Amino acid sequence: MAERTPGRILPREAGAAPLDLVIGVMAFLAALALGGVLIANRTAESWQAGLMGRLTVQVLPVGAAAPDEEVRGALRVLQKTDGVVRARPLSQTEALALVEPWIGHDAVVSALPFPTLIDVRLAPGAALDIADLEARLKTAAPHAVFDDHSRWVARLKTTAGTVLWSALAILILIAIATAATVAFATRAGLATHHQIVQLLHLMGARNGFISRAFEWHYFVAALVTSACGMLAALAVFVVAGSAEVAGLASVPFLPPLGLKLAELPWLALVPAGAALIAWLTARASVFSALRRIY
Amino acid sequence: MVRFENVGMRYGAGPEILRDVNFALEPGSFTFVTGPSGAGKSTLLKLIFMAERPSRGLITIFGRDLATAKRSELPALRRRVGVVFQEFRLLDHLSAFDNVAMPLRLAGKREDEYGKDVEELLSWVGLGNRLDAKPPTLSGGEQQRVAIARAVVAKPDLILADEPTGNVDSEIGQRLIRLFVELNRFGTTVMIATHDRALISGAKSREIRLVGGRMVEMRGGRPHG
Repeated sequence: MAERTPGRILPREAGAAPLDLVIGVMAFLAALALGGVLIANRTAESWQAGLMGRLTVQVLPVGAAAPDEEVRGALRVLQKTDGVVRARPLSQTEALALVEPWIGHDAVVSALPFPTLIDVRLAPGAALDIADLEARLKTAAPHAVFDDHSRWVARLKTTAGTVLWSALAILILIAIATAATVAFATRAGLATHHQIVQLLHLMGARNGFISRAFEWHYFVAALVTSACGMLAALAVFVVAGSAEVAGLASVPFLPPLGLKLAELPWLALVPAGAALIAWLTARASVFSALRRIY
Repeated sequence: MVRFENVGMRYGAGPEILRDVNFALEPGSFTFVTGPSGAGKSTLLKLIFMAERPSRGLITIFGRDLATAKRSELPALRRRVGVVFQEFRLLDHLSAFDNVAMPLRLAGKREDEYGKDVEELLSWVGLGNRLDAKPPTLSGGEQQRVAIARAVVAKPDLILADEPTGNVDSEIGQRLIRLFVELNRFGTTVMIATHDRALISGAKSREIRLVGGRMVEMRGGRPHG
């Protein structure tokens, strides 16, 4: 006797393609939103980490340049301060590079009187007495201006928080829409198979048998279609990431649009979530339908 | 095996389809339920295969009072009943083989356990060469035979058939009845609902006649109670 594979309890319903497409598109958008949250979170952290634990001391120019004596005095004060790991004056070239995005780089700019910038790195968790340090700096270098970046850090925190919460809100909205779409598609499919549910029930099928057939059917359908959507979103991030690596799309101050390798597995949450919703919806719908019949 | 006591049935707030029905089916019996269209024959069968609940009265099946049976007990009771539905109710996306095998799958059997039996049964009903055919490609008579094979494949204690010859000519109809008689000889209890008097004219089996929802006539037995 030839080996046979038992036929599937449920047929692939005719007209399912548009619903599959909708699930795929929603999964694509959900994966994009999730990637956006990951990028926003990483960017917010990097912004803060870049400024936390650092100070800048400017020794303002008197005439054409900052007095060397004051720069050395400021360095001495800083190096004697507990919690300071390193204090390094920036060269003229480094200072010019910092302002280049705003005022360019030519002979006129080079001739401008520039303050000497001292980049100070603090030990992690160092608690400085800012007022005391500022007073001692003023004594050693009267033209020194002290900046602990607290104003910037506060603004960046607010901005990063806004970006992150906005991205999360978009993700939640899209996740709700995706969940509703998957649930709707599953229920619509079940409605077309109501006769099969009833027939199996009358033939003595246990509720678990009928439910398993439906759960598995819609779990696989949602998993496959949402995985396609997720892969499309992944392709978008890979293309955006490779464009940045190639230097084609990097724009100053904008966060990188590509995802890091370690962040990619998070996108698998989208098809996993969609498949889980389909599974739960199918199970709830079948049991609800079975409760209504004797 | 089956006992009805003062059973009445109505759908929703509609008129009573069955009224004060009393009878008992003994194991190994062969019974026709006759009556004109709308007399309540299909409803009577639905009550026996537990597709509907009675509005009143007591139904006992395989010694179990359905009014007190738990829902979880019903699937096992239903699997002891093979049903040939009036409109066949085959699954169009499955082959004749898979349709017939369905009751065995529901009973938890594997393909390697039931494959040979299903093939033999389909050969017995004359469909040995249509194992892989889907119902929409089968004629009415062939679909009916698939439906009958599905009803008997799991060797149920009771077979119910609702107008099993309604879609075939009289010659095939007689052959199908002979098939049920054959099954009955092996000990299966059979109950057939039909409005075709010609079909039962030559039979000596018991007859329950329904008119307007009431049992008005019996042959080969007496109404219970």
